[in-house]
Amino acid sequence: MNSAIQIARERLIKTITVILIVTICVVLLLKVNNMLVSFIMAFIINYLFSPLAATIERTGVKRGLAVSLIYSFFGSIFVCLVIMLLPAISHQFSSIKYEFPGYIEGATHLTANFEKDLNAFVPGMITFDLSKTAETAMKSFSMRIFEGLPGLFSVLLQTMILAPLFAFFMMLDGQRAIKNLLAIVPNNLFESALNLQYQINLQIGGFVRARLLEAAIVGAVVWACLLAIHFPYALFFAIFAGITNLIPYIGPVIGAIPAILLAVIKGFPGLEIVYVAGAFGVAQLIDTIFIVPMVVARIVDLHAVIVIIVVIIGAQLAGIPGMIISIPVASILKLTAISVYQHLIYRHA
Amino acid sequence: MFKSLWENVIRRSGDDVFENIRGNFLFKNLSTKELHFVTDIVHIRDFKKDEIIFHQKDAGSGMYIISKGRVAITVYDQNTSSDAANEKEALITELVSGDFFGEIALVQQNGIRSATARATEQTRLIGFFKPNLIEIIERRPSAGVKILLKLSEVLGRRLVETTDMVSDLTDQLNALKKSC
Repeated sequence: MNSAIQIARERLIKTITVILIVTICVVLLLKVNNMLVSFIMAFIINYLFSPLAATIERTGVKRGLAVSLIYSFFGSIFVCLVIMLLPAISHQFSSIKYEFPGYIEGATHLTANFEKDLNAFVPGMITFDLSKTAETAMKSFSMRIFEGLPGLFSVLLQTMILAPLFAFFMMLDGQRAIKNLLAIVPNNLFESALNLQYQINLQIGGFVRARLLEAAIVGAVVWACLLAIHFPYALFFAIFAGITNLIPYIGPVIGAIPAILLAVIKGFPGLEIVYVAGAFGVAQLIDTIFIVPMVVARIVDLHAVIVIIVVIIGAQLAGIPGMIISIPVASILKLTAISVYQHLIYRHA
Repeated sequence: MFKSLWENVIRRSGDDVFENIRGNFLFKNLSTKELHFVTDIVHIRDFKKDEIIFHQKDAGSGMYIISKGRVAITVYDQNTSSDAANEKEALITELVSGDFFGEIALVQQNGIRSATARATEQTRLIGFFKPNLIEIIERRPSAGVKILLKLSEVLGRRLVETTDMVSDLTDQLNALKKSC
């Protein structure tokens, strides 16, 4: 009997310790500046390159050397890409900054015309100066964007240093760290915890790789189509479309809006606006017909209604980043719930 | 108290674990390098006397090698009463250092433990689970193949033993029917 009490007490102490460690880690991630973003980026890098590290290891190369080789190779490619694309991106960016007042003017003109048409149709419907209000709002919005850029750049720079560093150690010692954490888990929960960790790792790894592949393909298709119709800032809009495509359902729409707005403001003929919308449409068609059924849908087994609900919850809790991470988080919660349920059911069967 | 509570955490994978793995039938054909790789990824668990390692019908995902101590394998004996509260445990076997058990879970889709395992004295086990086997197959395929071959051999032998046992029991049943 004494032995049973001692076993129960040890299990309780170990369970509390595991919960404490996990809670401290979560609090640190949320409270320390830039830590959460850096860690999420590190996880993405880790999930992206871990299969490649395993492939290299199969040839007899040690893990450390395999990870170093990957870093050297992809690091060089990244640096080359930055060197090659930076002038184009900075040119497009400064061009946008230079032409922005013109766009605001164009948008104000467009709003004024709309206001005039509306007042002619239903006199006295708009009792305030719509175009003036819109112009003020757009100016303050653009000011906020350009003022916030240095801060955003500093966060980006920190993340670009921290994330690869964390990812390097995750790829090198991640399994050992998980093994050490599992060692604290009490005996009665150990196998369930090990399985849960394995399932989550498998599913999130597959999800991250599939979504990144999807974003890259969508971005590339948008870039090719916009280049084909000689649309300005093709690269900028392609990168934006690729990133927003990570947001389920409404992401593709958000990705297309800036380019179509630019086409309207710049006074492009109707047919060209259709071409711009068509470029995004083609990318979405390829995504919906080929990439989603073949790559993404097989990985995360969540019903469409559940996906919409979790995306709305994600948006309410953490805005756009919340929408992007809502599906993997929901998938982790689903796996955890199934694992806990099975543990309880089998234990009490 | 502190030492016994945190032994899983503070203890390093020592030579005893390496020797236990090297001596195990499943890892018999592995090279020293491959054995070190396996030693690095297995889990060491300490159990107190009378502590349950797993219950019959628990979800299971791997096998245990007894590094030191003794483990009793029991099943619920439902012959005596249909009332679940009166179920008794029937001892199948008692395993000692060097033995291993639970290996069927390594190859099952949703493994369910067919018996209960209980430590009958202070016991140290080396846990080798499906995620570990998959990791070996992915990172050291040649070692993975060697382990799978040995695992098939063990399962094949268990199947032959079970078939022989069923055959013996059928004969005994037939003899019993004839005599009645």
